[in-house]
Order: sequence, then structure tokens, then C-alpha cells
Amino acid sequence: MITRKWIERIEGEASVQFTFEQNKVSFATIAFPHFRGMEAILYLKPAMDALVITPRVCGICGHSHLFAAVRAIESVYANSGFPLEISPKAEMIRELTLSLELIQNHFKWLYMVIYPELSHLLQRPIADSCRLKGAYAASLATKVLAIFAGQWPHSSYMIPGGVTCDPTYVDTVRAMGILDELIRWFEKELTGISLEDYLNLSSAKDLSYVSGDMRDIDKMLRTAKMHKQGFSYDRYMVLGNHGFSNPSKYINRRIAKVNPKLVMLEDPYTVDEKTYAKNALYQNNAFETGPLARAVTNGVPFIKHLHRSFRDSTYTRIMARSYETALLLEHCKTLLQSLHLDEPSFIEPNKKITSISGEGIGIVEAPRGPLIHKVTLNKGIIDSYTLITPTQWNLSCGSPQTPGPAQKAMIGADSIETATFTFRSFDVCSVCTTH
Amino acid sequence: MKPRLKVLWLQGVTCNGNTHSFLNYPHLLYVLETFEFLYHSLLPSTYTLEEISTCVHECDILIFEGAYDPRMERVGTSLETLVGHYGSHAKYVIAAGSCASFGGMFKHSDPEHITGLGFDEKEPKGPFASSPKLINLSGCPMHPEWMGYTLRMIADNKPIAVDELHRPKELYSYLAHHGCTRNEYFEWKVDSDHFGTKEGCLFYKQGCRGPMTHASCNKILWNDVSSKTRAGSPCFGCTEPDFPRTNMFETKTNMSIPQDVPVGISKRSYLTMAGIAKSFHIPRLEKRLIDDNT
Repeated sequence: MITRKWIERIEGEASVQFTFEQNKVSFATIAFPHFRGMEAILYLKPAMDALVITPRVCGICGHSHLFAAVRAIESVYANSGFPLEISPKAEMIRELTLSLELIQNHFKWLYMVIYPELSHLLQRPIADSCRLKGAYAASLATKVLAIFAGQWPHSSYMIPGGVTCDPTYVDTVRAMGILDELIRWFEKELTGISLEDYLNLSSAKDLSYVSGDMRDIDKMLRTAKMHKQGFSYDRYMVLGNHGFSNPSKYINRRIAKVNPKLVMLEDPYTVDEKTYAKNALYQNNAFETGPLARAVTNGVPFIKHLHRSFRDSTYTRIMARSYETALLLEHCKTLLQSLHLDEPSFIEPNKKITSISGEGIGIVEAPRGPLIHKVTLNKGIIDSYTLITPTQWNLSCGSPQTPGPAQKAMIGADSIETATFTFRSFDVCSVCTTH
Repeated sequence: MKPRLKVLWLQGVTCNGNTHSFLNYPHLLYVLETFEFLYHSLLPSTYTLEEISTCVHECDILIFEGAYDPRMERVGTSLETLVGHYGSHAKYVIAAGSCASFGGMFKHSDPEHITGLGFDEKEPKGPFASSPKLINLSGCPMHPEWMGYTLRMIADNKPIAVDELHRPKELYSYLAHHGCTRNEYFEWKVDSDHFGTKEGCLFYKQGCRGPMTHASCNKILWNDVSSKTRAGSPCFGCTEPDFPRTNMFETKTNMSIPQDVPVGISKRSYLTMAGIAKSFHIPRLEKRLIDDNT
């Protein structure tokens, strides 16, 4: 029997068709019906316009798109023999604002999706105001981001050669003040213990020290047996190089090098349904991307421990994303404190973009995993632009023989509701998946 | 407690940027206390989108985000049907962002079929063309305070005067230029040599549309802290019907004179003033703002 379910509240909608055998999900297809044709919009536009257009791929991770676009254009410069110099200050500010975008994303996902959906699953409704906690925490993160980027969403402040802003220590002091407030909020509302203590957790047992909403979420996840389901391939892919990530793959319990050239796209598997999402694979294999992938390949002790006990269950996936928020808060603090503002924000490229031709690739870690922008320029004009988003990995739709990571994770669920919850543990984003 | 006004937040061809912009609004609690969301993609809502798609409910305010493509379906129902049903019962229709207002970025994915709710760029077109119900909150994205203002004015039964493009005058009579921290450089025609500095005006080389763009971005700051121009980025004119333009990081010039001059100022007046201002050499404005040597 096949049951079709519209999954909403995922930055758009997905249509998932579940096949049941003996009261368990035996297969599920994932289709995304909306399409905007971002790559076609970019065709024949001046390269710099990509810095305005690509953030509009996605309202929640547009800053990651900006970063990928700027890296792609800088890579064209480098590949045509004119590598650009970027000051450490500009590099750090870029990484800071990217990290803040990840933080706002994770807070919204945890409080506006996971917490209410989990409560709904266990029929223990939570107050409406609880969702607003996510929006509040996210708004503090974007406030810090906007001090450097001018605004969030949809800033275009990263440009080939650096960043447009020229902050003073008045700005960084202000940013630290707001970041401190966000960390205090995190400690009071989410963990009930200090950020430092939370970062020092080393095993599942240590979770007994945690109070606050995280304690509630942890307990509910276990009550819902989320540590015993939602298993996928236990294969992970990280491609973006940052202070918080280590480009590598994890396969057969080993961490190994990756080559972005081996990323490939494949048409999705569908039956009687239109979908616009292409599957992203590495050497024909499906890989999970995102915070769990980053934690496993980066050897984050607490998540490694959970992963040893509960493998890639829905529980581990959710705990990894929540924990990454703490890692990123700490990372932002360090970055803010290490900025040397006397360095230049921007170093003008020696060559005008209108004389640059060639190919380039820009890769960053977006909230949901590696985001790839590939561009070909002809005298500064975009000849082709290809976007490969992290959700194309996680939510790829393969055949019953080769299901994608989220498809595989839903197999074995005892109801559509639990399967859907596992689906949401991947932090679904429809707009990025199809673009 | 008096009954809450019913709001439906629908999405067309969109990136969800206006949804996320609005989540930065500091007074969301007020919004939830005053309005009942029949549906919103992240805020607590009475119905699912699937229930909304049956078109048996009615709302007082329809908020529409994204460009309008009548053929696009949301969970199986066309936007033509959804917007037709909910819009005809609503007292107000709010276009959230430039796509919903004028077609914006996503008009470019299918220029023949896609428009805003009441405008195709600046031409009246679409299901709410010339409708007195329509309020355009253009911007890519719109500023959360602009939506907060509009909702509260409606809740308090206060009239909202709009301009010829249906944008609230109190928000869009200002220019993005007003309140820009680089104003003095504009007055004395001191260009910014290159990006990444506090000093200099971005109007002459870097493509800044601030003096031609109706928006209060430098009056009501973004995320309460900054704006594009304060962060050294040019204004791209994202609240205007011609957004997105091309070559957005460059000022179009004819014989090194900017092709477009500030709104409502004749080219002749502008050039006279600019010529005089440029003839002065003002050392203070040519130095770094914070001088390392003194």
C-alpha cells in the first residue's frame, strides 16, 4: 500500500510516498514540486551579480550561498593565474558571519521544528511561546552577523578580495556584548549549565547534568525511541574547509580524503510524480551531510561517543546539530576576539573581472552540509552556473535498491508520523534542494 | 479577550526570505496575541497548509510572499484558486517583499507568466491590480519592522496612506540615502576609492542606488544594528520595481557622470551642485576618518 503525505514547514513542501509492508515503512520516495531556475537566472549575468542573486536561493541560508559564490569567483581568478590575496581579517569575518548563520538556522530548527514536532508526536503539546524562543535566539545571532554584513537575510558584503565592511572595535565590542547575551540565553534556556560545561560533556551519561529544554528534548527523544531508529548509511561527507569543519569522508568507519571533482549528479527516482531535485552522490554512493557528518569527521568527543552507542540514529543526528550550536558559539567568540582590525578588509584584485575567463568552484559548509557553486566566466560574464546544495545529498531520491540517506533512515518506521519526524531530523529545506 | 484578526501567510515563487526576515521582529509575541495565523510556515498556526488548500476558511488579512504564478500549485491547489479565494474575502492583502509586490527576483524565472500581486514591475497587473486592499511592502527582503508597522496599524484601525506603487508612505517616502553614515562624502562628492573602507560615497563608482531608492533602511536599521551602506555595500535598490538590475556593483556613467541622479532632482541642478562641490579640495574628507597619526 502506498500512502502519500505532504510534508510542510520545511521551507516549502515535499511530497513523500510511503510504501508499507507488515505495518512498517518499507520504502519512501521524496519529491519536491517547486522550481525557480536559479541557474538559468544567473546565465549571462555579470559575475559580481551572482553575489546579489545567489543569496536569494534561500531565505535561511542565503549567506552560505554568498560565501560559496565569492569563493567560486575567487577560484576563477586563481585558475586563470591571478590568485587573490585575502587578509586574515576578511577571512575571519567571513567565517564569523557564516557561523552565525548556522547558529540561527540550528536554533530555529530546534525550537520551531524539532521541539514542537516531538511534542506533537508524544502528544505532549508545548506552549506557542516556545517556538518564539527559537526566533529570539536566532535574531540575536543575526544581529551580530548584521554588524559586519549590514543585514540578514540577503547581504552581499563578501566580494572577491575581501569584505565591504570596515569595522572598528566599537563594532566588535558591540558584537561581543550581543554574543554574550546569546550565550547566557543558551545556558539559561537550553542547557541549564554553562557553555563550557556543555562543551565538556563526554558521554551520554553526562547528559544528566543538563537541564533546561535540552533535557526535555533528550528525554522525549528517548521516550519516542529515536535512539533506536532512523539509521542511514553511516557514511558522511564534508567538503567545506572552515575552522569548524574538516573536508573528508567517513566510510567503513574510516575517515578518508575527498576530492570534490568526484561529486556527481543523478536524476531522481520517481513514479508518476514530478520532482525537480537532482541527487548528489560521491562516486555513485549516497552520503549524509550536515552537523553529524562534521562532528564525526572532526572527531568531536561527545558526538563520537553518542555515535558509538547509537550510530546514526535520529537521536544522534538531532544531538549533533544541537551540540554544533554550542561549538559554533564558542568558535564565534574566539573569532571575534582574534580580529586584527588594522588589516585591510579588501585587497583590490590586480585584474578587472571583465578580463577574467575560466572555471571556478566555491565550496562552503552551509547549515545542512557542503554547498558547491561551480561557475564558468567568459570575460567576467557568467557562461554557466551550477549549484549543488547539501539537501541534494540528504534528501536525494533513489530507487528501492539505492535509497538516499533520508529515504533509508525512514525505512522500518512504524508510522508515517515517526518516519516524518526522522525526515525532519535532516533539517529539510525545499527551496535549496530544487533551487 | 477580543477575537484575534485572522491572518493567512501564503507563499508563491519564493526563497522564504521575507518569512525569515519577519522572524527577526522583536515583537512577535504581540503579533501572536493580536493575530491568529491560519497558516504560517514556521509560526504557530491553526491549520495545516493542506487544510488551507481546501479553501473553506476565510481570513481578514492575506499576506503573500513570493512572486505570483497563477499556475503554481501549493499542496495540489493553484495559486490562482488560493489567492482568489482568500484574497476576495480578506480586507487587506499585504505583498511581503519585492517578488510579491512587483515580480522581483523570481519574475526572471518565467517573465511571461510571473508577476507581483498587483504589479508587473511598475505596470498594474495581476489579481490585485489597482485594488485598494493591496499594500506593497517591497524590499528583498522586506524589513520586519515594516510588516510590524502595517499589522499594528491595521489592528488599531488606523489608516495607512500609500504611494502610487501601493507602498505605505510613512515607510517609503524616505530614501535609503537618508541617514546613511556616508552622507557628508556624498555632499562633497568624495568617492570611495574601493570597497572595504568607512570613508567615501558609494554612489559614484560602486553602484549605490541609495539616492534613487524609496526605503527607510538607514532610518530603521536592519537587525536593529546596521544597513548595507553602513557595512560598505552599495544599496541595490531592492525596494524598487526594477530590482534586480544588472551590473549591481557598478555605477552606470556617461562621460564619468552618473546616469541616474537623486530622485526628483533635475540632472542640471545635480550637475551644477556636484561641479561646485567637486571643485573644492577638503583634506579632512580625503583622509581616513580615524587618523592613525594624530
